[in-house]
Amino acid sequence: MSGELEPTVSEPGNWFERDPLWFKRAVFYEIHLRGFFDGNDDGSGDFRGLTEKLDYLQWLGIDCIWLLPMYASPFRDGGYDIADFYSVDPDYGTIDDVRALLEAAHRRGIRVIADLVMNHTSSDHAWFQESRSSPDSPKRDWYVWSDEDTRYSDARIIFIDTETSNWTWDPVAGAYYWHRFFAHQPDLNYDNPEVQEAMLEVLRFWLDLGLDGFRLDAVPYLYEREGTNCENLPETHAFLARVRAEVDASFPDRVLLAEANQWPADVVEYFGNGNECHMAFHFPIMPRMFMALRREDATPIIEVLRNTPPIPDNCQWGLFLRNHDELTLEMVTDEERDYMYSEYAKDPRMKLNLGIRRRLAPLLDYGRREIELMTAILFSLHGSPILYYGDEIGMGDNVYLGDRDGVRTPMHWTADRNAGFSRADFAQLYLPPLMDPVSGFQAVNVEAQLRTPTSLLLWMRRFIALRKEHPGFGLGTYEPIVTGNPRIFAHIRRYEEDVILCVHNLSRAAQAVELDLSAFEGLVPVEMLGRSSFPPIGTLPYLLTLGSRGFFWFELKGADG
Amino acid sequence: MAETPIDAPSEPALVDFITAQRWYRSKSREIVHANLVTTVPLTTAPPRSSVALVEVRFQPGTHEIYQVILGARPSGERSPGTTIDEAGGTTFYEGLADPAIARELVELMKAGAKVSGAEGTIDLRLVEGIAPLEQAPLEALAVSAEQSNSSVVFDDALILKVYRRLEAGMNPELELLRFLTVHGFANIAALRGWYEYTGPPLDATLGILQDYARCENDGWEFALDALASVPDEFVAHARRLGEVTGAMHIVLASDPSDANFAPEEPSVESLGLLVASVDEEIERVFLDLPGDVEALDSIAGRGEEVRDQLRMLSRVGSPGRIIRHHGDYHLGQVLWTGDDWLVVDFEGEPARSFSERRQKRSPLRDVAGMLRSFAYVSQAAPMLRGVEVPVDFESRLREGFLAGYLGTVDTSLLPSDEHAIERLLAVFELEKAVYELRYELDNRPDWVGIPVAGIERLLGAGVP
Repeated sequence: MSGELEPTVSEPGNWFERDPLWFKRAVFYEIHLRGFFDGNDDGSGDFRGLTEKLDYLQWLGIDCIWLLPMYASPFRDGGYDIADFYSVDPDYGTIDDVRALLEAAHRRGIRVIADLVMNHTSSDHAWFQESRSSPDSPKRDWYVWSDEDTRYSDARIIFIDTETSNWTWDPVAGAYYWHRFFAHQPDLNYDNPEVQEAMLEVLRFWLDLGLDGFRLDAVPYLYEREGTNCENLPETHAFLARVRAEVDASFPDRVLLAEANQWPADVVEYFGNGNECHMAFHFPIMPRMFMALRREDATPIIEVLRNTPPIPDNCQWGLFLRNHDELTLEMVTDEERDYMYSEYAKDPRMKLNLGIRRRLAPLLDYGRREIELMTAILFSLHGSPILYYGDEIGMGDNVYLGDRDGVRTPMHWTADRNAGFSRADFAQLYLPPLMDPVSGFQAVNVEAQLRTPTSLLLWMRRFIALRKEHPGFGLGTYEPIVTGNPRIFAHIRRYEEDVILCVHNLSRAAQAVELDLSAFEGLVPVEMLGRSSFPPIGTLPYLLTLGSRGFFWFELKGADG
Repeated sequence: MAETPIDAPSEPALVDFITAQRWYRSKSREIVHANLVTTVPLTTAPPRSSVALVEVRFQPGTHEIYQVILGARPSGERSPGTTIDEAGGTTFYEGLADPAIARELVELMKAGAKVSGAEGTIDLRLVEGIAPLEQAPLEALAVSAEQSNSSVVFDDALILKVYRRLEAGMNPELELLRFLTVHGFANIAALRGWYEYTGPPLDATLGILQDYARCENDGWEFALDALASVPDEFVAHARRLGEVTGAMHIVLASDPSDANFAPEEPSVESLGLLVASVDEEIERVFLDLPGDVEALDSIAGRGEEVRDQLRMLSRVGSPGRIIRHHGDYHLGQVLWTGDDWLVVDFEGEPARSFSERRQKRSPLRDVAGMLRSFAYVSQAAPMLRGVEVPVDFESRLREGFLAGYLGTVDTSLLPSDEHAIERLLAVFELEKAVYELRYELDNRPDWVGIPVAGIERLLGAGVP
C-alpha cells in the first residue's frame, strides 16, 4: 500500500484492537434491513439507509449489528431461502453498499455479523436447478434425493403449520428431495465434500469483504442418518469444527453464532471444546422469563439456569427477549406452552407454529416497569444481550399481518409521514408502519423519545452503558443466591475485583428479601443507576425491600473505596 | 509472564519507566499486569533501536497500550536518554532522546521503509505531492513531553511527534493534517510524514513528522500577555482567528469525493442525539455536585432549569451540514507566529475514543470551544497574571471572533438563520461548560467559578 494512507478494505483489523473475546462484552442489535431505513426512497429499507443510521446505533452503545439474510432470494421465507450466496438482494443494494456499510460501521467501533443459512438453499438456487435437471448432473449429489419418501422417518417436522412431510416430490427430477423446513428450501447434502468446500468458499467471500461473523441458521440439521432424529449429529459437529478452524486460520476476531433451538445440554455441543461456534443462543431461558413474570415467581428462571451446563471460557451465550421470529415455545413442556398461550396469546392470531408472534412491549402490555425489569434480568445474565430493532423504543406489532411480518414493520424514526422511515409514497412501503393510537409511530418514535428525558429509549441507552462499564456482566461468573422468597431472582456476577449483586422482584407487589451475603462481609453495596451507597454488609442476612417489579444492581465495593 | 526476549529490557523495568513518564495517563490506577506485547527493530546499525508496544492492565478488566522507542548500546557506553534497564551487557534507554535514533526515524520515512518484527510491521512514509525534504536532519532536540505524546525538533525546521498511548485505527490528527496539507490550507504546520504499525495487537498510527512552527507562544499565553498590555490589539487578533477558523472549515468541507470528509446532511435525529447526550451529562453532573463548594452556589439545585434551557435552545430547525472539524479547539491549540495564526494539535479530545473523535459534527462545535476559551482567559487572567480585565473584554473577543468567522465560513454549513446559529452555538457552549464543570471539580477546584459563570450566563441569556 505504498504511499496510500486510507485502508482500502473494510477489514475490521484496521479499526479494532485484536480481541478474540470481544463478543463476550458486546451488546448486539438485530436488524431487519427491509424495515430499518430506506436510503433510496423506494419504500424498502436498504444498506444505504442503515449506513445513514449508524450514528444512532453508536449513540445507543451498540457493539455489533446482526443482519437478517440479505442475499439474493425469492423471499418466500424472509430471505432464509437463499438463491445466490454471492450477491445481495437488489432491494437492499449492492456488494459495494455492503462494503461501504462495513467500513462506516468499523470506523464507528461497530461490528457487523449476518445470517447465513448453511443447511439449505432456495429451490431457485442455480445449484438446485442443476441438481434436479438430471440424475447425471454433476450437482445431483449436492442435495438429498430419494426414490421413496420414507427414509429418516424419525426426524420431526418443524413447520407443522405448513408442511406435512420432510420429503417433497420433484417432478423435474423424478425423485423426492429432503427439506427440514419449507418445501421450497431443499437441504444441501453435507456428505458431499464439494458442498462442504462450496460453503467454506461462501464464508471466505464475506469475511474477506470485512464481515465480522455469521449467525449460522439452522445448524443442527446439516446431516441425516437413518435411525436418528437427524439433529445434532456428530458429523454436523465435525464439520462445524472444520469451519471454525478455517475461520480462525485466516480471519482473527470473527464470530460464529449458532442458531440451535435445542435444550442447553444439546446446545453446548455446538461450542465443542471451544473449537466450534463462539456463541449460541440460549432459547429456553426466554419463555421462562416471560413465564416467571406472569406467575410472579422466579423459579422457572432459576431452574433453567441450574440446568444450563457450563461452557468453555472462550464461548458465550446469546440472550434475547424477542427477535424477528415468533417467541418460540419448542423448548417448553406442553403444559407450560398452554400456560404461555393463555397468558400471552389470547388472540389465536398471535400464535404461529409453536410460538407467539409478538414484540416485547405488547407482550408486556406496554408496562414500563415490566419492560425495564425484563431488560434488567436479561442484561444481568451471563450471556451477551441481543436487542431487536424497535424494542428500545417499545414499538408495537400488528397481528393482522401474515406470518412473522407483524413484528417486522418499519422502524419508527419520527412522527412524520411513513414514520420517517421512507420518503416513498405510502402505498410503496413494503409493509405499513404501525398506526394504532397506543404503539403507532405518532405515539412511539425515536425523535419524540430523544426529547423526553424519561423515555424508554434514554433509559435503554443508559442501561447499555451501565452494562458495558462492568466487565463482570460479560466475563464474570454466575452465582445464584438462594433466598426464602420465591418472587426474588438474585445472583452475583464476579470478574476479578468487579463484584456485582443483582436482585430482581418479579412480583407486582413490593417484597422484602433476606440475602445471605456473609461471603462479602464488610463490603458496601453501591446502587449502580443512582450511585447511592447502602449499609455495609455484616454477618446477619442482608435485608432489602423492592418495589413492584423493582430491581437493584449493586456494585460491591470495599468500605474505603 | 512470557519469557523476555534477549533483545529487550525486562518487563518490570519497562513498566517502571512507563509509569514514571508524564505521558502515562493512568497514574491513579492500580496496575494488575503489564507485558511487552511485541517489538519491531528500527535500526540494526549502532545505536540499535526498536519500537516496543507495552500493554498495561488495570482493574477491572481494562488496559492501555503504550509505545516506547528503545535505544540499545553496549553497557559502559554513555547513553543519551534515561536508562530503562541493563541486561546482558546492553543498556536499554529512552531512544527518542538519542539524536542518532530520532534522525534515523526521519531517514526511514524518506526512504519509505517497511520494517518487520516477529508479529507486525511498521511502515514509514512521507507525504507525497509536497516539496521534498531538502537535506538530512542534523540537529535533533528532544522537547518536553506533552500529555499524550513526545516530540523531537530537527534544525528548528521539522518536528517529530510520537504518540505514546495507542488506540486502534488511524489517529484523527494524521487524517486531518494530511487532508489539510494536501488541500493547501496554509494556517497549519504542514504534515511531512508519518509512521504506523500493522499487526497484533492493533493497527495504529505511531507518529507524525510536521514542519516546525517557530512561534512566539500559543494563543493562551499570547492572550494573557496581551491582556496585561494591549487588550485592544488582541481583539483584532481574535477577529483574524475567526477568519482562519472559517477558512479551515471551508477546506475541511471541500472534498465531496472523499467519504471521510464529504460534508453531510445530518440525519433527522442527529440534533436529538446531541441534545439527549448533553441532557444526560447535565443530569449526571448536577446529581454529583458537592454541597460544600461555595463557587457552585449560583447554579446549585438548578439542574432542571439548565435542562429546560437546553431543550429551548435545541429548537434549531435545520442544523446545517456536518463536517470533520478540529474537535478540541481552544486558545491552547493555536499559535501566533508574529503575524498570523497557526492551528495545531488535531488529535481531538483525549477523553473520547477515536471513533467519537472521527464523527462529523456541526463546525459550530469548534466555534463554541473557542468562545469558551475566551471566557477562560478573561477570568483566569486575574488569577494567573494579577491583571485587571476590562469588563467587556470577553464579549468583545466573542464579537470579534464571530464577525471574522461568519464573514468567512461557507454559511451553507450552518443553520439557516442567525437565531438558529446562536441557539446551536449555545447548545455546544453548554455541552462544553458542563464538561468543564466536571473537570474542574475533579482537578482544579479554584477554577470551578469559570464554568459556573458560563452556565449562569447561558441560563440568564434567554433564548435567541
